Amino acid sequence: MKRLVIFSSTLLLTAAVFAFAALAQAWNISGKYNIAFSTNEASGIFKTFKGSIAFDEANLAASNFSVSVDVASINTGNALMNKHAKSDEWFDAAKYPEIKYTSKKIVKAGAGYQVTGDLEIRGVKKEFTIPFTFKRTGNGATFDGTFKVNRNDFHIGKPGGDVADMISVTVAVPVVKA
Amino acid sequence: MLKKLSLLALLAVLVGGLSGVAGIVYQKVYIETVGEGFVNIASTANIFKYTLAGAFVAAIGYFLLSLVLKGKTEMVFNLLFVILTFASILGPIGAKLPLEQDMPELFPGLAVPMHFFPALGWFALKPLFGKSI
Repeated sequence: MKRLVIFSSTLLLTAAVFAFAALAQAWNISGKYNIAFSTNEASGIFKTFKGSIAFDEANLAASNFSVSVDVASINTGNALMNKHAKSDEWFDAAKYPEIKYTSKKIVKAGAGYQVTGDLEIRGVKKEFTIPFTFKRTGNGATFDGTFKVNRNDFHIGKPGGDVADMISVTVAVPVVKA
Repeated sequence: MLKKLSLLALLAVLVGGLSGVAGIVYQKVYIETVGEGFVNIASTANIFKYTLAGAFVAAIGYFLLSLVLKGKTEMVFNLLFVILTFASILGPIGAKLPLEQDMPELFPGLAVPMHFFPALGWFALKPLFGKSI
């Protein structure tokens, strides 16, 4: 009986140590983020962004992102363009209110990192890789990323037309330690 | 000729000033009604700048037309002023506001009526000058 208690305690302690080591630093998204997009015809931002971020440069295997953008928070600076962007021809905000991204793997890539995960827009989920940098500043840090999304992959708008197929996206997300 | 130009300049100042005041009053009413006045874009200085510019452009246009059309100036000018005023509302409708500005859909409701103030001011004040202009 005594052996069983000692064995169980040791096992629990070991598991706890490994569990602690396996957890990456959790970060809270600060309010001053910027999720911007631009094409040849339009540019704008998404004003509402939320999610959970766990990231540790020394423990990429345990790092993960699960974030979402509120489609209705799109702002191009023009009322007609906002209405058009939210319509069923483009983002269809009523039917698909969120753009979601959930990471599956994060790797070091040059001076920065690359996260591969599932990007879901307009109900279409595709594996998508985003390059980003991570800079620590005191108790906080900032994630920066720039990438292009082919809108046709997610059935955003009609193919061709005045708006280019490739949409440039810039993400700057300041975070603080949770 | 000089007298006519001076009176047109005076009319432009009066029309621009009155339209500016009307614009500011309308902005206050708009803020009270919908809670947004776009005061960084439609600032007091900007409102006066644009109403005065509109009134001076109208005065210059009136003067140039009077050189060509003589007796038919009033009729043609008024028609042109109305058409151009209507055309100008495309400006605020198509305007791209700074991205940090909330509720851009409320901007045309503020700015479009303001575009009519110089024309209204002109039509209200011009008769006071009689045949002098």
